[in-house]
Amino acid sequence: MEIDIKHIAKLAKLSIPDDKVEMFQSQMEGIIEMVENLPDIEMGGALIDPDDTMELREDVVEQSYPRDEMLANAPRMAAGCLLIPKVVD
Amino acid sequence: MEKLYSLSATQMKDLLDKKEVSSVEITKSVIERIENTDKDIQAYISYNFENALKAAENVDKKIASGEKIGAMAGIPVAVKDNMCTKGLRTTAASKMLGNFVPPYNATVVERLIDSDAIIIGKTTMDEFAMGSSGENSAFQIARNPWDTTRVPGGSSSGSAATVAASQVPVALGSDTGGSIRQPASLTGIVGMKPTYGSVSRYGLIAFGSSLDQIGPMARTVDDAALLFKTVSGYDEKDATSKHYEYKGYGDSVKGMKLGIPKQYFGDGISAVVKEKVYAAVEKLKELGAEVVEVSLPSTDYALSAYYIISSAEASSNLGRFDGVKYGYSGSKRGNLEELYLSSRSEGFGAEVQRRIMLGTYVLSSGFYDAYYKKAKALQKMIAKEFDDALKVCDAIITPLSPTTAFKIGEKSDDPLAMYAGDICTVTLNIAGLPGISVPCGFDSNNLPIGFQAIGRKFDEKTLLTIAKAYENSVGGFAVKEF
Repeated sequence: MEIDIKHIAKLAKLSIPDDKVEMFQSQMEGIIEMVENLPDIEMGGALIDPDDTMELREDVVEQSYPRDEMLANAPRMAAGCLLIPKVVD
Repeated sequence: MEKLYSLSATQMKDLLDKKEVSSVEITKSVIERIENTDKDIQAYISYNFENALKAAENVDKKIASGEKIGAMAGIPVAVKDNMCTKGLRTTAASKMLGNFVPPYNATVVERLIDSDAIIIGKTTMDEFAMGSSGENSAFQIARNPWDTTRVPGGSSSGSAATVAASQVPVALGSDTGGSIRQPASLTGIVGMKPTYGSVSRYGLIAFGSSLDQIGPMARTVDDAALLFKTVSGYDEKDATSKHYEYKGYGDSVKGMKLGIPKQYFGDGISAVVKEKVYAAVEKLKELGAEVVEVSLPSTDYALSAYYIISSAEASSNLGRFDGVKYGYSGSKRGNLEELYLSSRSEGFGAEVQRRIMLGTYVLSSGFYDAYYKKAKALQKMIAKEFDDALKVCDAIITPLSPTTAFKIGEKSDDPLAMYAGDICTVTLNIAGLPGISVPCGFDSNNLPIGFQAIGRKFDEKTLLTIAKAYENSVGGFAVKEF
């Protein structure tokens, strides 16, 4: 099975350096080959299990984290805002 | 008296209750032990010694003043580095989170603190819990105390190694496809993956959200049960957590029916592993259990289904790492796209990138039906086969790892060989069932072997009972002098 590793990387927002393309390409082809031998099974119903429902907490307003604590891990910020490269010209 | 650090959690608790030792004495002994041995074991990414001593002083004060103390008061615990600890760096062993200091505690960490346990440090692991050897850590490779040229297994490599080397009595691991049980087996300790939903995942850095589960690792069954009891139970912060009630355990397998599935004893499992697991089954028979044959025909497909589902979820979960809000920020910043690409390609290691790409591929347009949908159908089938099997028996016994611990570097360039080692463990995560790894002997190189007991949903009691009965019958598990 041949795959277009550069295309998949693009979808995954990864960029593979040219010297690694071949390695990733052959490893990924091997992995896909391993996982592709699945039998066709008729499956009724939805992909989720109706017997395994999730329990949501009450939707009430609670004290959240202070802004400075939440931003303490941001790589770049200014004036209490996250900094990103310019998006609009 | 034996060295304090080498005692089990239960023994430490006993001495603390009798006021024969203080929490500070235990904590100091454990810190000294880690300082003396961790250059050889490499179990920790971050130490928490200063805070641990403060917490220990606090426990001693509580004891002195007769204040009520928690169930794990004064017990040193190691925590895998994918569980958030407020104010203490939490990296998931990734360059991506190399400087991440969480502003909150995972629920399991909160429960440890509430029980007065002493958090001693954060253990190394495979990056984002993706791996079976610990070698995918961006920082260091933990060593197997039984042979330090070998891996301790993974992904909870540091948690297994620190417990097996008697640095701490107990540690928390997480298990998405075997990451508690396989390293437990390879280092000769007890490790349990509880039923999905029995332990809160809030604050656990997500890998495969429908499969991830936190659980205990320890040198004795009592200690594993104590830690499990402490961290389990409903948490409103995790919508998938259940109103789980810990039911304790016994020590007799008399009258218990144990199922043996022939699909787990195939050619891929080494002869010595099969021999020791069969011997453990014989031992359980002698103790009064009845053995029946069961069949799990879809086992051959489990590995494929697991890698499709877990990678699909991983690719979605890891989409949040964009180099903007937190985590590593890439070197190229010409525009937003460049920032994303450079952050993710420089921040994630090779294995994580492979899984993200596999997940992206199986979810991509034109391939979704052929991979993801089929894998989900298989998941249902596998779960049903387990359900049926567990109607005619109380638990299923299988090998855990096809081989004993392998050499560092032996499989690290061959992802497929590494994945194949997960064949006996991934099925439980797929089916949401609990499983426990119990030490049951050694190979000719004196490397540990474990068997796996698989139970019905929320029936950890039966698993702990089997493990306890076996532990008693062999007079306790061997501990590596290190």
